[in-house]
Amino acid sequence: MRLLLVEDEIDIQSFLQRSLEEAGYQVEAASDGKTAERIAMEGLFDILIVDLGLPDQDGITLILKLRQLGVSAPVLILSARRSVDDRVCGLEQGGDDYLTKPFALAELLARLRNLLKRNSPAASESTRIRVLDLELDLLRREATRSGQVLQLTPQEFVLLEYLCRNAGRVVTRSMILDKVWGMRIQPDTNVVDVHIYRLRGKVDGQGQKPLIRTLRGVGYVLKDR
Amino acid sequence: MAFACGTMLVFIFLHRFVASDIQRRSDAWLSGEVEVLGDVAEQTPKNALYDRVVGEVAELASKEVPNKDSSAGASNDSVFFLQTGGDGSLLLWVGAGSGVPNLKAIQAGKIVPGSPSDLRVQGFEVPFRVASTRLNDGSYIHLGLSERDELRVLRSLWLRFVLLWLLLVFLGFNIVFFTTKRMLSHVQRMTEAASKIGHTDLSARVPITARKDEVGNLALTLNHMLDRIENSMHQLHTITDSLAHDLRSPLTAIRGKLEMSLSSGSQSDHSEQIVSAIEELDRLTDFLNKSLDVAEAKADALRLNRVPLDLNELLRVMIDLYEPSMSESGLQIRIHSGGPLLIEADAALIHRMIANLFDNELKHLPSACTVNLRLSVENNAASLLLEDDGPGFDPEVLPHLFERRIKREKSTGHGLGLAFVDAVVRAHGGTVAASNCEDGGARLEVIMPLFPVSTGRIVAS
Repeated sequence: MRLLLVEDEIDIQSFLQRSLEEAGYQVEAASDGKTAERIAMEGLFDILIVDLGLPDQDGITLILKLRQLGVSAPVLILSARRSVDDRVCGLEQGGDDYLTKPFALAELLARLRNLLKRNSPAASESTRIRVLDLELDLLRREATRSGQVLQLTPQEFVLLEYLCRNAGRVVTRSMILDKVWGMRIQPDTNVVDVHIYRLRGKVDGQGQKPLIRTLRGVGYVLKDR
Repeated sequence: MAFACGTMLVFIFLHRFVASDIQRRSDAWLSGEVEVLGDVAEQTPKNALYDRVVGEVAELASKEVPNKDSSAGASNDSVFFLQTGGDGSLLLWVGAGSGVPNLKAIQAGKIVPGSPSDLRVQGFEVPFRVASTRLNDGSYIHLGLSERDELRVLRSLWLRFVLLWLLLVFLGFNIVFFTTKRMLSHVQRMTEAASKIGHTDLSARVPITARKDEVGNLALTLNHMLDRIENSMHQLHTITDSLAHDLRSPLTAIRGKLEMSLSSGSQSDHSEQIVSAIEELDRLTDFLNKSLDVAEAKADALRLNRVPLDLNELLRVMIDLYEPSMSESGLQIRIHSGGPLLIEADAALIHRMIANLFDNELKHLPSACTVNLRLSVENNAASLLLEDDGPGFDPEVLPHLFERRIKREKSTGHGLGLAFVDAVVRAHGGTVAASNCEDGGARLEVIMPLFPVSTGRIVAS
């Protein structure tokens, strides 16, 4: 996967480049709009990360220019601005997703994966998800572990489904709030943790291998091996 | 009103003036005629012809009565001529009737020779104006002129004055009414435009008329003022944006580096510290966001992306999210709602606002308490009532609850929660009120305007 990273802050650029390379992307970095245009025209990229506040031009202007030049790869916009208008504006003007700084790496990676998946020909959607001995029937909204049916509330099922779809990858609290409850909020309280705690009580029974793992300071991961 | 009274006074004055003028003219005529008649009576020998000669002269005189109503014809009862002897006996009578009541009235009243005066006669509706003169032979001549014609003229004049006055007042009222209405409709349009500007966007302007009057000037002045406000608002946004940018960039870099050192596999002893550093960093970010939002909202500069939002649905999702945490803390939460209730609001801000309300309950309520939510339409506005049976607000803190940096004891938050709630609700044109229930629990009431095109509630099927 070839990725073009357009970010002017050297600190952020360097840690992003390292983390993205660790995650398996081939990263080319640019610090301003001009360089980004040149690099984008030289090679073919699968995905772009563009910061809105570039020294020589606005990130959205750059994206529009690249689109005109025939770059069709999806774009993840990074924004340090705070208004919603800019985000909506960015989305409408051809950027495909946005993330406000500061962000968790896990969330950045998840959004990149989503964008790539959206852009690739849709794989036939399965009605069943299997993670080790955990099995989810999406039509009957039923989860079983080692053949035993788990008594889950509808909300718990949606939460478990989200974890299973991202099995082996870290999901943060704000990602869970966004995808499961549909809101971008940052509660001061441990509301998400309690949901995970309850779900874990039902999924990871006594004597079974714990599947849901907490990564403190980052989020949660459903183990797939 | 003042105009009506003024014109009324002018008309009354005019009427008085005309009346006294008519009086003066008829008095002059009377005095003149009575003198002529006196001369005639003195020079005419007292024989059989005397009656006829004086009678003819009196008859002739009565034909030249001023203000005479021509329609009255020959039957002349507006003038009488009366000659009395020194002893008061009736010597000669010319006029309508027998003249006896006239004589009685003259003898009853004090008629001074020379100056004319009013005389009421039995059998006549209107008084007579009577002038008298004393002849050398000791007899008196009285010439009476009925005031009927004079009164008729004055009455018709009065009628005309009243009609004219009514017309003037009516015209004046209409002119004032329509001019004022036109003027006020301009002002009204400006008021409407100006009141919209505060709540929606600052780029709108008050409609400008081509007129060069005070209202036109007011519109121009208002627009200049709005230009300045928009400019300072824009500067405020630039400042908060650049402040956010300048703080967020280093935060992003720090957080990224911490995360990398955490995931780089070296399970060092520092991982615990790194985790807590990341958590602190996230709290700092949240604090930064809220502070800037509260600051912008206090300056009425919060940027809203309004969409139709069902409060009922939103509250149920929120309760679903918060219920496990609440029951872990021994709290119960209940909702009473009459079904879907639409408002037009910025979804992200309202989500965070409700989350703040719930976080607040979760952080401050002792266990075994119940939180009651009541969603309803009150006075054409959405009302969200949140009551608990906990210890309530500290009376000392209550008046300052929505100010920044107020927090209840043992709070883990940064004291921005309720200030943020207040800021968001105000930005949407609503209000928040806090009080303590009678039985001691805390009570918060949030009022928000309903979605404009519907009445808010969708008919529950």
